[in-house]
Amino acid sequence: MDIIDLISPDRIKCDADVTSKKRALELLSEMLAASTETLPASALFNKLTGRERLGSTGLGHGVALPHARIEGSDKAVGALIKLEEGIDFDSFDKHPVDLLFALVVPEHFTDEHLKILADLAEMFSNEQLCESLRQANTPEDMYKELLHWQKQLKIA
Amino acid sequence: MELTNQFIFGVGLLLTVSILASVVSSRIGAPLLLVFLVIGMLVGEQGPVGIHFDDIQGAHLIGSLALAIILFDGGLRTQTSSFRVGLKPALSLATVGVVITASVTGLFVSWLFNIHWMAGLLIGAIVGSTDAAAVFNLLHSRGLELKQRVQATLEIESGSNDPMAIFLTIALIDFLLGQYTSFGWGMAIEFASQMGIGALIGIIGGRGLTALINRLPLTPSLYSLLALSGGLLIYGIAAVIGGSGFLAAYLAGIILANRPHQAAQNIRRFHDGIAWLSQIGMFLMLGLLVTPSELLPVAGQAMLVAGVLILVARPLAVVICLLPFRFPWREQVFISWVGLRGAVPILLGLFPILAGVEGARDYFNIAFFIVLVSLIAQGWTIAPLARFLRIEVPHVTGASQRMELDIPGQHDHEFVGYQLQPRSEVVNWPANRVPLPKQARLLTLIRNGEPLDKPHHQTLQVGDYVYLLTTSRELPALDRLFGASAEQERLEEHRFFGEFVISADTPLGDLADAYGLKLPYKGAASELIGPHLYSRFKHQPVVGDRIRFEGFQLVVRELEAGKITKVGLKIARSPNKRAVKKRSNKN
Repeated sequence: MDIIDLISPDRIKCDADVTSKKRALELLSEMLAASTETLPASALFNKLTGRERLGSTGLGHGVALPHARIEGSDKAVGALIKLEEGIDFDSFDKHPVDLLFALVVPEHFTDEHLKILADLAEMFSNEQLCESLRQANTPEDMYKELLHWQKQLKIA
Repeated sequence: MELTNQFIFGVGLLLTVSILASVVSSRIGAPLLLVFLVIGMLVGEQGPVGIHFDDIQGAHLIGSLALAIILFDGGLRTQTSSFRVGLKPALSLATVGVVITASVTGLFVSWLFNIHWMAGLLIGAIVGSTDAAAVFNLLHSRGLELKQRVQATLEIESGSNDPMAIFLTIALIDFLLGQYTSFGWGMAIEFASQMGIGALIGIIGGRGLTALINRLPLTPSLYSLLALSGGLLIYGIAAVIGGSGFLAAYLAGIILANRPHQAAQNIRRFHDGIAWLSQIGMFLMLGLLVTPSELLPVAGQAMLVAGVLILVARPLAVVICLLPFRFPWREQVFISWVGLRGAVPILLGLFPILAGVEGARDYFNIAFFIVLVSLIAQGWTIAPLARFLRIEVPHVTGASQRMELDIPGQHDHEFVGYQLQPRSEVVNWPANRVPLPKQARLLTLIRNGEPLDKPHHQTLQVGDYVYLLTTSRELPALDRLFGASAEQERLEEHRFFGEFVISADTPLGDLADAYGLKLPYKGAASELIGPHLYSRFKHQPVVGDRIRFEGFQLVVRELEAGKITKVGLKIARSPNKRAVKKRSNKN
C-alpha cells in the first residue's frame, strides 16, 4: 500500500492550534473517526495513547508517528496535522514536534502495519519533504507535496 | 659542537617530517605507525640519507622507555566502566591467548625453518603480543566508534599482554642459553611473581601517585610532569624488584585516570602529546635500526609465518579464549583481525641479540618483517572491516570544543562549545525556547567575536558560538540540538537504532499487543523488555547489541550502570519484501 492511499486532504490539518501532546492525539483521533464513521474517537485516542506509553512515537527532528491497531476497522487510514508551534512529545531528541502523522490499521494487519510504519519513517526522515510540508499553507498543498513525494519514489 | 647542532637539526627535521606525514597518511588511510617506521628506514643506513644506527642497547633503552610511557598513557585513557564488559575476556586473551598464539606460530616456525622447537617458540613469543601503541593509535585516531565490548576488550588486552610475551621471551632465551633445563615450577613461580609484583606495584603506586597529585600545591604544569615521572618511577620500581614494569605502568595509569584528581585535563593533554612523541620516536628508531637488505632473504618465509600468525594462530587463540564469554561471531572475527603487531615484537626481537642467542639477528629480522606485514595488512583494513562486520556504532559527540572543569568536587561537569552551522537544528530559535537537557545550562553566546548580554533573550543565528555547562551524559542530546547534524547522520541513527525508542521497563506483552506479535514463550507477557534482553544475550550487553523479535529488531540503545534503560525498535524489513514493493511500484 502506498502512503498516498492512506491520506486525503480532508484528513490533513494545517497550522492546527494545539498545545499539548494529549490535545494533538485527540485531534488526530477525531479526524480519523470522522472519516471512518465506524470508530469512535475515544477508542482511537485510547489506543494511540496506549502505544505512547511504551515510549514516544516521536521520530526526532519535530516529527511524530502515533499509531495503533484497531478492532473493527477494515482498512489502514492516516491523518496528518501540522502545528503552528511545536509541542513537547517526549521524543528522544527532546525536540518539539510540529508534524504528526497518525496511522491506524485493522487488527489483523501485522506485517502490513510494520511495512507502512517503516515507509512513513523513511518518508519523514527526508528533510526536504518535511521542510516543504512545513512551508505549505493549506491541506491541499500538503497533500500535493505528499503526492509529489510518492511520484518521485515510483520513478526511483 | 658542530655534531651537537647537526644532531638537533636532524632530530627536529625528522620529527617535523613525521608529523607532516601524518596528514598525508590520514588522507590515504595508511596506518600512521607504518609511516613512521618507513621514514625511519628511509633515513637509515640504506636509504638516501644513510644514517648509521645499530646501537642495540640504546635502542632497547629508548624503546622500553617509550613503551612504558605509551602504556601509562593508554591506562590514562581507559575508563573503568569498560572493565565491566572487557576485563575478563581481555585477561583471558592476554594470558592464555598469548601462549596459544606463540605456541602455534612457534611450532610452525620451527617446522618451516627446520630449527629446534625451542627456538621456534622463541620467535612465536616475540611476535606473540598485540601492540598497545598500534591498537590504541588505530582505534582512537580513525574516529572509529566501536561497540564498547570490542573496544574495551582490544584495549585492555593490548595494554596487558606485553608482560606475558616479554616473560615468555625471556624464559625461552634463558632456556636456549641453558639456564633452565625444563619447564616447571620455577618458571611458573617466576611468571606469577612478574605479574603479581607488577600488579601490586601498579595499584599501590597509582593510588599513591593520585594522593600525591591531590595533596601537593604545585605550578599547574608540574602536575603533568609529576604524573609522568610517577608513571616511570612505578615502572622502574616494579621492574627493579622483579615484576612487570609495563603492567605496573598501565595499571597505575588506569587508577590515576579513574580517581578524581587535580589538573586532570592538563595531565591528559600532556600525556597525549608525550605518547605521540614516544610513538614517533620509537618507530623512527626501530626503522633506523633495521637493515632493510637483511629483510629480503627472510621475506618469503616471514610472509608465511605472518600468514599463519594472522590467519591461524590469532583466530584460534581468540576463539578459545573467548569461548566462556560467548562473543557474537562478528566480534570474534574483528578481534582476531585486530591482533596488530607493533613495536613490542621488534623490541623483543632485540632481547635475543642482547643475550647472545645464536642466529638472533635473523629472529629480529623475521619479527620486523612480520610487524610490517601486520601493520600493512591489518592496519589498513580495520576501519572498512568494522563497517563490514557492523560493529561500529553511531558517533557519540560532535561538540567542537570540550573542556572539563578542573574545580575540586566538580569533576562531572564540562564546558562545551558549538559554532552554529546552517544545518544546526536550533538556528533561528529564541535561545530560551531551546529544549536543553536537565543538566545543561546555556552560559554565553558569542556573535562576531562579542559576547552577548542576556544570551537567553537572543535568537540563535548561524555562526554564533554557543557555550554550555553540562555533563558528558547529556552530550548526545546537545549534539542533536547544536551540532551540524546532517540528514545523513540522522538516517544513520535510524538505520542503526531503529525508528522508535521504547523504555526498557515496558512489559513484553504490551509491545506484543501493540503490534500483534507472538510471544516467544508462555509467561513472557509480564516480563519486562530490559530483563528479557538480558536473558537473551549470553554476555553483558553493550549499546548496539540486538535481537530479533518477530518483525522487529530490539536494539540496546542506552545503558546505565550496566542496566539497559532504552531500547530501539527497528522494523526489520526483509529484503525480498522490498524487492516485491519495488516491482509493484514499477507496474
